Amino acid sequence: MLIGRDILDQQVVDRAGRLMGKVDGVVLGPPEGEDARIAGIVIGGTTLLWRIHRGLARWAERKLGGEGRATFVPWAKVTKIGIDIKVDVDAPRTRAFHWENWVRDHLIGRIPGA
Amino acid sequence: MSKLFEIALGVITGIGGFLEAGSLTTAAQAGAAFGYQLIWAIAVGTVCIAFLVEMAGRLAAVSRHALPDAMRERFGIRFFLLPLAAVALVSFLVLASEIGGVTLALEFATGISHRWWAIPTALSIWLLLWKGTFGMVEKGTSMLGLVTLAFVVAALTLHPHPAEVARGLVPRGPTHDAARYWFTAVSIVGASVSPYLFYFYSAGAVEDQWDEGYLTINRITAGVGMTFGGAVAVAALVCAALVLHPQGIQVDRFEQIPFLLTSPLARAGFWLFVGALFIACFGAALEIALQLAYLVAQGFGWRWGENLQPREAARFALVYTVVIPLAALVILSGIDPLKLTVISMALTALSLPVTVVPLLILMNDPQYLNEHTNGWVSNVAVLAVSAIACLVALVALPLEILGS
Repeated sequence: MLIGRDILDQQVVDRAGRLMGKVDGVVLGPPEGEDARIAGIVIGGTTLLWRIHRGLARWAERKLGGEGRATFVPWAKVTKIGIDIKVDVDAPRTRAFHWENWVRDHLIGRIPGA
Repeated sequence: MSKLFEIALGVITGIGGFLEAGSLTTAAQAGAAFGYQLIWAIAVGTVCIAFLVEMAGRLAAVSRHALPDAMRERFGIRFFLLPLAAVALVSFLVLASEIGGVTLALEFATGISHRWWAIPTALSIWLLLWKGTFGMVEKGTSMLGLVTLAFVVAALTLHPHPAEVARGLVPRGPTHDAARYWFTAVSIVGASVSPYLFYFYSAGAVEDQWDEGYLTINRITAGVGMTFGGAVAVAALVCAALVLHPQGIQVDRFEQIPFLLTSPLARAGFWLFVGALFIACFGAALEIALQLAYLVAQGFGWRWGENLQPREAARFALVYTVVIPLAALVILSGIDPLKLTVISMALTALSLPVTVVPLLILMNDPQYLNEHTNGWVSNVAVLAVSAIACLVALVALPLEILGS
């Protein structure tokens, strides 16, 4: 398994089949013996920006503060790695829908008929 | 739903959805300036888009993933930003062109300047997406789009010489005005191979929950639907060649385009033209706005779907809610819709390698396609057309901008 090819940027799907976002980052745990181990995957927040442009990511983190916090899913919760990454979590109870809900509550939900 | 019915529906989608601001304008310009000489460019573009649509459908049916989804996953975010930006930019310009086409149809019908129609048009497009379902957008626009068959009727009443039309299918160099000739050729290819078509198609296949049982339907729909669609564009070119070319009218102002139908079909022709322009552009605008929302939502793994209520897929709905008024602003600014359309088509051709090559790589990856990967014919055909179109655009686009 290769982190770059098989895990990063794959679609994350929760227990109920809800789209949680893409794998924006991977957290490596303390090395055990010779190999580093994957501690978990990170979705959303400013994680993705760090892979695009560091300056931009730093700026966004300063601007957003705690708002930019990402969703961390421990590796033990990953149930399947294929074209999608299936995780045994309940998405609404994580921060994965933070911006989705923000857009719904502050913008889209305010337009009649939403 | 029976398979035959699905195929018929798919073919109708191809016919009704093919003609839009870009393909109509470029076909009319080609016919007016060069007679039948550029029919081959429509043929080349049509073959290429048929291959691409088939691929996008096959990818969706086998992997259950739409194109942006698969691209982000296969190539990673850093590379994905390139096709994302290219497709988004080109689609945005084409969206503005289509809104321009709708507003022109309204100007022809009412006499009120098209700029005033930009906001009402944008509002109607948005409202239909806000309230509508995917089936309504896809099937509704393609059924109504059959009004573009008026061009076929008009072309037939003009009695074109079949042998001469057929001769136009053979690519030849220009007899005069070489720069214009190649620019028009590449705009035609760009208009036919608009990325929104196959991006939209792949999202649609996922919306309709295609599986491998749809591969045959997909092949027939793409092949037959696009061929008939291309035939409608050829009909528009033939009309222009027989009506405008002999009078030496070059289509450089939009007021000249209704002549295409008023000459063969008289007063009815005028209203058919207005109706065809309105519906074709309105339908395309709906699809492009939706496709931009698919593109962003799928690229970032958000919840998406035109069958969901806006509040159930808020970020997805936000994308089209933002891009539609922005595109309307372009028309409101007073830019010439005809020029915008033609330049957008050439830019589309220029961007083809960026939008098409990642798709080709995916289509040859058994991880996504299992045993349904591409054959060499489609690989070579699409790659050759994209590369040549891009190179020609690279030369012709600056010449056109400097020349005008």
